[in-house]
Amino acid sequence: MSRNLDDIFNECYERIRFGESLESVLRSYPQYRSQLEPLLRTTFDIGRRASFIQPRPEFRHWARVRFESAMQYPQRQQEPVRRETQAASMWLRHGWAVIVSAGIVLMLGVGSTMAASSQAMPTDPLYALKPLTEDVQRAFAVSPDRKAQFETDIANIRAAELQAMADAGNAQEAAKAAQRYDDQFEKAVQAILATEGTEPIVTRPPVATPVTTPTPVTPTPVVTPPVEVPTPVVTSTDNGTAGENAATENTTQSGTATPPAVPVTSENTTPPDTPAVTTGTGEQPTAVTEEQPAVTEEQPATTTSGSTQSSKAQELRDRLNRQKSTVEQSLKDAREKASHQDKSNWQDTIDKVSKKTATRTTSEQSDSSNQTTIQTDNKTVPNTGSDKNRPSSSNRHR
Amino acid sequence: MLSEEYLVQQAINGNQAAFTQLYNQNFDRIHRYIFIKVRDRAQAEDLTQDVFIRALESINTYKWRDLPFAAWLFKIAHNRVIDHVRKQSKEKRAPLEEAYARSVEDPIQMTERDYEVYQLKLALEQLPEAQRDVATLRFIGQLSIAEVAKTLGKSEGTVKALQFNATASLRKALYGKFDV
Repeated sequence: MSRNLDDIFNECYERIRFGESLESVLRSYPQYRSQLEPLLRTTFDIGRRASFIQPRPEFRHWARVRFESAMQYPQRQQEPVRRETQAASMWLRHGWAVIVSAGIVLMLGVGSTMAASSQAMPTDPLYALKPLTEDVQRAFAVSPDRKAQFETDIANIRAAELQAMADAGNAQEAAKAAQRYDDQFEKAVQAILATEGTEPIVTRPPVATPVTTPTPVTPTPVVTPPVEVPTPVVTSTDNGTAGENAATENTTQSGTATPPAVPVTSENTTPPDTPAVTTGTGEQPTAVTEEQPAVTEEQPATTTSGSTQSSKAQELRDRLNRQKSTVEQSLKDAREKASHQDKSNWQDTIDKVSKKTATRTTSEQSDSSNQTTIQTDNKTVPNTGSDKNRPSSSNRHR
Repeated sequence: MLSEEYLVQQAINGNQAAFTQLYNQNFDRIHRYIFIKVRDRAQAEDLTQDVFIRALESINTYKWRDLPFAAWLFKIAHNRVIDHVRKQSKEKRAPLEEAYARSVEDPIQMTERDYEVYQLKLALEQLPEAQRDVATLRFIGQLSIAEVAKTLGKSEGTVKALQFNATASLRKALYGKFDV
């Protein structure tokens, strides 16, 4: 019933909307007249009241203007998006500017810090950055020559630091600086040797090495050759105590070691190519080291004068040695100025520097001179091989 | 007179005159519908403009077979009003009487028509939401039963029942008696 009344009411309302009179509509449903009439009159009243709601004329005008503008310029409707895009691009532009500026500031800061750290001394706060700076520079030193040059420069810097600590009388820092100098000296030596490794002198001809040849002990005294025969003969023995002095003396006298032109041993039990050392005292020449010819430090330069790389290597070597001498002198001065208790510390540092660097220099020079000798005199002097039995420079010049 | 469907198709194709004609046909009743639903005139005007701008922006997505154009416009208006009311409800909301009284300096000076509109708003305010939506679209927006049903997503039978009950409630609210 209710649903039917809903439909009837809706039908009557529609008919009134389209112009039919209330009385005409109600006549169609006389049985619902009492129910429909007040409701339909209510809808009339609602419609009448709603018709009073009219937009203000100025609002109607401006709303129309705005709507037509929106139709004529549809791109305006994308304005918020475009505004966001513009804002984003503006931000990006500013963002890039900020990033670039920050990068420049960072580069300047890092560059100035690295430059400042390169001058820093071990007691400076920036000294911790110094190895980093050097590592960066080291990465750019690719070729062996440049690497040797760079490592030598750094070794000189380490030497200057050690010298500065010595001048400042700072024994503790000087000891640390000495250790750093020693490490860098090692690197420099290795780098220099690497440059020489490219030389063709590495191809050594095979030579008979008498070093390991034992000399049998013979009861028969060796016949002493005439003094007119100045050629000393170098023989290797398994022990070198008794005749060492005589052997080295003869070597020193002769100046250069050459193979014996004439075997001087009457009862030569050694292999034919093994030279024998004879002494005027008739002592058994048991202590004969594999004495190299007295090669001075200048010899490699003179013998490899034709090689540019060798001359450069020698130049670097000279720089290292000169700097080492300067450092040693500074350390000695610091030791003199130091108090009695600190003298031992300074002496330790001096010993450390002198011993290690001197040893390396000797071995380096021995190696270099050895190669040089091989290159130049390999026809007359056999390579004695082992570095262990080489005499120290002090022994050689004794 | 051109049919509404033809005008809509022309408007979709970019015919500004067709869209202007649709605008003219629906402007007043959209404004009236919004005016009844919201608190004051300024809000109604802003929302009315917004409805047509949105319709212009999204006309390319409109399909006649889904919804008549008037119903589509009223659906936009309905959603905009709902958003507006929700936004207003989050704020401190004064009763309708106070809002209406504040919008006019002296209610006595209101014209008789304004007062009758005010009474209508009060009566609609007292209805349940479903009845209010149907009554507003049907009696204020002058939509057909089918259009109201599509706008609100209800069946035509439900809309008719809501319409009947809403009318009875409005009569009681407006005249103080219910004689159905």
